[in-house]
Amino acid sequence: MSATNGSTQGSLTGLRVLDLTRVWAGPLATRIYGDYGADVIKISDPRVPLISPNGLNSKLNRNKKNIGLRLDKPDGREIFLELTVISDVIIENFRPRVMRNLDITYETLAKVNPHIIMCSMPGFGLDGPYSEYPAFGTTAEALAGIPGLIGYDSSLPISTGIAYGDPVSGLNAVGILLTALRHRNITGTGQFIDIALAASPACNLGEFFAANSSNGYTPTINGNKSEHYSPHGAYPTRGEDQWISLSITNEKTWKALTEIINNPILSSEAYYVFENRKKDEILIDAHISDWFASKEAQEVMFQLQTRGIAAGVVSSNRQLLSDPHLNQREFFADMDEPLFGVKRYDGQSIRGNFINKSGWKTTEEVGGSSKEILMKLLGYTNDDCETLRKEGTILFQ
Amino acid sequence: MDKSKQPLPLAGLKVIEVAQGVAGPHCGRILAAFGADVVKIEPPAGDWARSIGPFLGDNENVESSATYQYNNSGKRSALLDLSVPEGISTLTDLVSEADILIEDWDITSRALNGIEKDRFTKLDSSLIEISITPFGLSGPYSYFSSTPIIQLALGGYLYLTGLPGKEPLMLPGHQPDYLAGLNGNGAVQIALWERDQTGAGQFVEVAMMETLATLHQFTMEMETYEGFVRNRNGNLWQRESAFANYGITTIECIDGHICFGISTEDQWERLCIMIGKEVFLEDPQYATRSGRRSVAPYLDSLLKEWVGERTRAEVMKEASETWGLPTAPVLAISEVLEDPQFLHRGLFTEINHPISGKASFPTFPFKTDHMRPDVSRAPLLGEHTSEVIGY
Repeated sequence: MSATNGSTQGSLTGLRVLDLTRVWAGPLATRIYGDYGADVIKISDPRVPLISPNGLNSKLNRNKKNIGLRLDKPDGREIFLELTVISDVIIENFRPRVMRNLDITYETLAKVNPHIIMCSMPGFGLDGPYSEYPAFGTTAEALAGIPGLIGYDSSLPISTGIAYGDPVSGLNAVGILLTALRHRNITGTGQFIDIALAASPACNLGEFFAANSSNGYTPTINGNKSEHYSPHGAYPTRGEDQWISLSITNEKTWKALTEIINNPILSSEAYYVFENRKKDEILIDAHISDWFASKEAQEVMFQLQTRGIAAGVVSSNRQLLSDPHLNQREFFADMDEPLFGVKRYDGQSIRGNFINKSGWKTTEEVGGSSKEILMKLLGYTNDDCETLRKEGTILFQ
Repeated sequence: MDKSKQPLPLAGLKVIEVAQGVAGPHCGRILAAFGADVVKIEPPAGDWARSIGPFLGDNENVESSATYQYNNSGKRSALLDLSVPEGISTLTDLVSEADILIEDWDITSRALNGIEKDRFTKLDSSLIEISITPFGLSGPYSYFSSTPIIQLALGGYLYLTGLPGKEPLMLPGHQPDYLAGLNGNGAVQIALWERDQTGAGQFVEVAMMETLATLHQFTMEMETYEGFVRNRNGNLWQRESAFANYGITTIECIDGHICFGISTEDQWERLCIMIGKEVFLEDPQYATRSGRRSVAPYLDSLLKEWVGERTRAEVMKEASETWGLPTAPVLAISEVLEDPQFLHRGLFTEINHPISGKASFPTFPFKTDHMRPDVSRAPLLGEHTSEVIGY
């Protein structure tokens, strides 16, 4: 029986991934591979530093090796092709024309390694009327229908604040690339995979599309209100911008809540019935809000949950980092960053045989493993490296 | 050989799914689409997702739940009562023949049914068991009750969506479940890679709360690197911190809203030229991202003026094609189904169900050269009980 907090050898030992991705969706996918022991080689432009004072790239590029490589120089492109020969997966999220201009399309790469699995993660997909349009996680989620379902009412759609196209696409990439590798191991053929950032969130709304296409079902946009549960929403608690979420799903938990609140209006027998609570939702919310207003969010969450009532602190980033549950489960990774000292990051949410956190490596600056990759993997000499350095093709740290 | 006729990569794998709702079933749906034989074990009354709306067709019954049908496509359904000892014993027999077990037993239901954590993996070291629950099998929240809004709240998502100072808003539907389901599929594929090489299975725990906590781009870094509580800010980007910028915003057109996602310096320059404000490029006020962000409402009004009396489609076309700016219309559900890009990509497929009739379901967000995922109808309640269990 494996522990759920890592192992000495990760499940993906033996898998080599060339990572040309930037920003979020792609690096998130390859971070999971890296945590699981794959040999992830991140290819960075030597002219653009990776590590920044806001920590953005440091979060997503741990457990990867970095080579600083100019793909637009002939020698650089040649090195990339040599790496392609010894790799299993290539993943990129440039705009479509960038890869064409560099002449590192799947057709070119499959000639040097027919077994390669290549994945592109463009905004809208590589074909279709929007294929050449730029995209961003926030615009992607808009096309998918996400903000169209969020709002206090139907007058103003509201974006998630998460750039939701990215994380959903990243998780899709993790699964489908490994599925394609299994296909390769069975059939001997590599292939090209094209994940559309904008399509990913739509696949998390399947029931809405099915119902709309079947009978015209159109949900009402009304804050956090629910068609099935009442009361349902977030209520202010003591302190600045502190909230608790509450979801009453049946008569039993409603009764439990009214026993705790002990307000004769709420305790009325009529409200045992969902339809009656739903009808008087505004009134009921006002009474509940009054009660929550003086409570401390975490305390009242435990008080309600002890009685089986679904309630949860609306955690800010600060609260998430100190969350008692995540901390007791040793979810976070505290990593000693050469430039910034010990920083706390989110750990690995797939709790199988990933590499023990004690063996995790912080994000390498551009070129951190250039020498090792060229000499150990590709057989270059010290003199070769010096030539490549002088011509500006490779950056070494 | 016609490559589209190659066997699907998970063909031959047997999966037992004892999960209900959305998260575990969504994971199982992906495995079924790529060729695995997924047997869904349902309690006699059916997966609870069968009883929740929205419904398909004209009737609300166990064969018309949109949520159930979407997430159980291509599976077989067998009824088994796990609340009695014979049920667990039959399940144990079924699992002994399987490669993968997907389950959603939290600590409460494990205690209730007497299912200790290593019950199945200790009998078969090659079994891959994926546990998908809201909070995991240990820790102070492991007994908690929850629905999507609670999971979004504790996972740090809820706080970030909505207008400043107003009630934080939830993402629609069952997002924590879908994300955990996708993570669960990732877990299966990772575990299969190891098993294909070494023969060893593993027990993998996926919690919705932890899944969400790993899906923040820089939310936590704003605190750990800069000491900011990341706020929610409607459709505008961060007000403070190194991430403050202008150009991620939503503007009203004559037929709805359009979202702009300007995030790089060259996009900002093209935006200024597009709206006829080249002067901004020389103005110190606009030299910094925070300077631009501080006058966001003014910039919104200029962008609104530029949009003028045009439709979302017209604005998207010009901003994307002429100016290279990321934009997209905010679409309603009915509009997503008819969007020309999604139609071209074949994102939706129509499936006919013997009881609830025809409906369009999403396929997958990717296209692959040589794998044609099989998306077929969901099973009727207990449709395959006799062939699976033998009675």
